[in-house]
Amino acid sequence: MLGDSLLIVFISVVTALLAEGLTWLMVYRTEKYQKLKNEVDKQSKKLEKRKEALGESAASKNQKRRLNLEEEKLKNHNRDLSAVRMKSMFAIGFCFTALLGTLNSVFEGRIVAKLPFVPLGLFQGISHRGLPGSDFTDCSFIFLYILCTMSIRQNIQKLLGFAPSRAAAKQGGGLFQPPQATNK
Amino acid sequence: MKNPQGVYERAFTRNSPWPDKEELLDVVYWSRQILAIIIGVAFGILPLAGIFAIVLYCGITTLAMNVYVSEFQKQDLEEYGGFFELAKEGFMSAFASFLVVWIIVYSSMHASL
Repeated sequence: MLGDSLLIVFISVVTALLAEGLTWLMVYRTEKYQKLKNEVDKQSKKLEKRKEALGESAASKNQKRRLNLEEEKLKNHNRDLSAVRMKSMFAIGFCFTALLGTLNSVFEGRIVAKLPFVPLGLFQGISHRGLPGSDFTDCSFIFLYILCTMSIRQNIQKLLGFAPSRAAAKQGGGLFQPPQATNK
Repeated sequence: MKNPQGVYERAFTRNSPWPDKEELLDVVYWSRQILAIIIGVAFGILPLAGIFAIVLYCGITTLAMNVYVSEFQKQDLEEYGGFFELAKEGFMSAFASFLVVWIIVYSSMHASL
């Protein structure tokens, strides 16, 4: 059982590194991405500082309007950034769906670990996927793999400096936000 | 992190200056990851099981990070977005790390198949 668990950890480290490598090749190293990222980071920090400054005093209507305009501009930049990343997300998604399918068949019906808790009903479908019996403390490959990926991918992104800055993440925005009209 | 050596020293020094808030938040992020792994190993060895262990983990890490920032580093929590904003810093990835380590240690030491 320990061998299977460690193998899954190893697989998720390799796939996370591979995914980041592919994203670097397709996105991170491009001039367009770097320019947009710098712009988003700079604007997010600027906006945060301005919001803090305005928070202390009663903002005038004009100041609020300017703030809204900057927020809209930032949202649009964030949307563009997400669109650039989308290309690699599709490629990675496609590769890893195929890989996951193969791994799923390798670990088919195998209990890779014993859970020290009974997962909530919502997660039992994943944690007990493809396993025989009704002992919900049995752990399937896919459950452990998802947990490993959640942990390892984010840490690798942070270590390599590919994670989005906090200010940008806080300001939100993304591809699925409707485009905002910038009033000039 | 611009100067990891300096950040590392300040992280262990009481009441250090943190002109760049991001650096302290990075310290909180990585401390939470390390704490998650330590707690995961401890809970797996003991063994602690069930929802109680998960709640205990959440309580320990949230409290530890907030006490570290407000008491050890003497920083104003509000400057970092308040108690919950700090509690959220790296929470999901640390929680996943905790679960992975806990599950692996527990099942290799206490589970029989």
